[in-house]
Amino acid sequence: MRTGIRWAAALCLVGAVLGAVFAAYSTSDYAAHLDRQVHAVHCSFIPGASVDSDEANPCKAALFSPYSAILRQTYWGGIPISLAALGCFAFFAALGLYLLLAPVRAPRRAVQLLGVSGFLPLCASIVMFGISLTQLHAFCKVCVGIYASSIIVAIAAVLAWLALAREKKESSMRPAGKWLVLVGGVAALGVASLVPAVVYAASMPDYTPYLTSCGVLAQSTEGHNALLKIPTTQPKRQVILFEDPLCPTCKAFHERLVSEGIFEKLDVTLALFPLDSECNWMLDRSLHAGACVLSKAVLCGGNRARAVLEWAYDNQEDLRAVGKQGQTGLKERVGKQFGAEVSTCIDDKATSVRLNQQLQFAATNRIPVSTPQMYMVSGGDKTKLMRVCDEDTDLGLKFAMGKLAPEVLP
Amino acid sequence: MSEEPKTIGHDPTLPVSSEPDAPEDKDDKKRGPMIVGLAVFIALLAVFAIWIRTSVHGAAERIAHPDAPEISKVAVADNSEVAYCTPAFKGVLQRVLNSCGLVGTESRRGCQPADVKTFASISDEDFNALFTPLKDRGAVILFDEGKDDLDEAAKKLVEEKWQERKGARYFFVVARASKTGTADANRALSHRRANSVMLDLQNILPRDPDLDKQVGLLWLGNEFAQLGKNYCDWPSSRDEKKVKCSEETINRSAFVSWVDCRL
Repeated sequence: MRTGIRWAAALCLVGAVLGAVFAAYSTSDYAAHLDRQVHAVHCSFIPGASVDSDEANPCKAALFSPYSAILRQTYWGGIPISLAALGCFAFFAALGLYLLLAPVRAPRRAVQLLGVSGFLPLCASIVMFGISLTQLHAFCKVCVGIYASSIIVAIAAVLAWLALAREKKESSMRPAGKWLVLVGGVAALGVASLVPAVVYAASMPDYTPYLTSCGVLAQSTEGHNALLKIPTTQPKRQVILFEDPLCPTCKAFHERLVSEGIFEKLDVTLALFPLDSECNWMLDRSLHAGACVLSKAVLCGGNRARAVLEWAYDNQEDLRAVGKQGQTGLKERVGKQFGAEVSTCIDDKATSVRLNQQLQFAATNRIPVSTPQMYMVSGGDKTKLMRVCDEDTDLGLKFAMGKLAPEVLP
Repeated sequence: MSEEPKTIGHDPTLPVSSEPDAPEDKDDKKRGPMIVGLAVFIALLAVFAIWIRTSVHGAAERIAHPDAPEISKVAVADNSEVAYCTPAFKGVLQRVLNSCGLVGTESRRGCQPADVKTFASISDEDFNALFTPLKDRGAVILFDEGKDDLDEAAKKLVEEKWQERKGARYFFVVARASKTGTADANRALSHRRANSVMLDLQNILPRDPDLDKQVGLLWLGNEFAQLGKNYCDWPSSRDEKKVKCSEETINRSAFVSWVDCRL
């Protein structure tokens, strides 16, 4: 009869310890990025397995997504939600241990506390699972570890209810205990979920001075008018974006700007910077074979340039595979999607010259050979474009925009 | 609320003794697991809080005092630099650029034979040898005897070569004149030939703000670094006339090429 409670308690403890370990890895990865450097990210079901620096790492995608943290505009990078999970699992570890030590003496309210609160991690996990499924289209293994831990705790909650029901049936009721146990327990869960986040927020340094530390564009205009204007609905702040249609980071950055409602409020000038040695002399080998062809397609898109760029981003994985086979396949794909006029224009000498002028613009400004890059008009001088640091285009995007250009935030 | 369960005696966690517990002992045994649970809860939260604080402070410390070797060296966009950009070649080009107005002054003026001789500090053969690797990058624009106007093929070739810029920063025009005639006349003729190429580029790119800063003109007359017959097989604007190519005709020319060196 008491075995049910023991099982529930043991499962609760195991789930909580496991969940805390996964949440700690996630938090550790997040906190490591607070130094504004690039770090590898844990992504394994096995706690302690080696870190993964692959760009396509789904844990990295989840970490850099807008759903991994809250209060991003107030705190640089925001407060990672894994902190709440960490505190929450600490609570369940303690509750599980208590019930395991006192399967008989524990009052009914304490068992009910597990029965009620044990579903909370599962509810949170269901929401995050939905986001992974519908928004990120990828599942981070560390996150899945937390989901699994939440399921274990939820099973413990179910077992707790079953045990109580059996006790009632066998008229072997344990002491009910005070309501305070239940209320206090729920309050303790709330406190546990908040404490790590409060400590994290209180420990963060002031990031404001770093936002303007990445230099300015030496030459803000291109003499041949070769750069591409991308129309937006409410342009409020002039920016120059250096992008590569086949670069996954550019895709993520573009999606971040769009999903945060920032893109439409930018006055966007696009400078294409394909990381493809076919047209970009700054590389000794192509990082994104076919990016030159697609960059030319964007230039040829005219008033559909944004549509061409977003099509390339949406089909990036597929287009990268086609690009590795040669240019013909890519040109066919462009022609099929946007018509013969665009695909013919790709081979036009003038298009190559224009793309080269954009690359020369990058060389003149001696920008870092990496994409994406954002340069933004800062202060009253419209000719002075300040470089938004790489780390402020991902984790720190909302914080940086809030400080540098608050009018572009919704 | 405080009634004891009937079957509590079956629980293995209960004491073996059949003696009823004293009320204080009962309370202690009830509280024991709760105290352990609370202690673990507080300890875990404290450990997490300390760890989080240490992690965040560690990151803050790394920003304030970056560990130099760990900072990645990011390549910077720049003009191209290829194998033929030897120190000797770059030295000559740099001196020519400095002396011919492309670097450091507002207006381009070009270099005449005396300038090249003085600033390049190099023999005729060595000067030409430096340009040998540009055979496939550039082209020889040929002129009729005593003339300085570009024919259609020449204009087409100049435009073609100009458009093949890639990562180069400077476009050089090295004009020559004739084996015959006075030095002054040939100097003037080669100057006009260099200017013809420049004017043609200005026609192709009427509002190009960078033109004056990109095009380096050198006119060598018949005084310096004349071409030998071996240059006849270089790409030129009059390929069909190669059969008639001689040391005389190949020097009625302007060699044009982008130079892929960082200077």
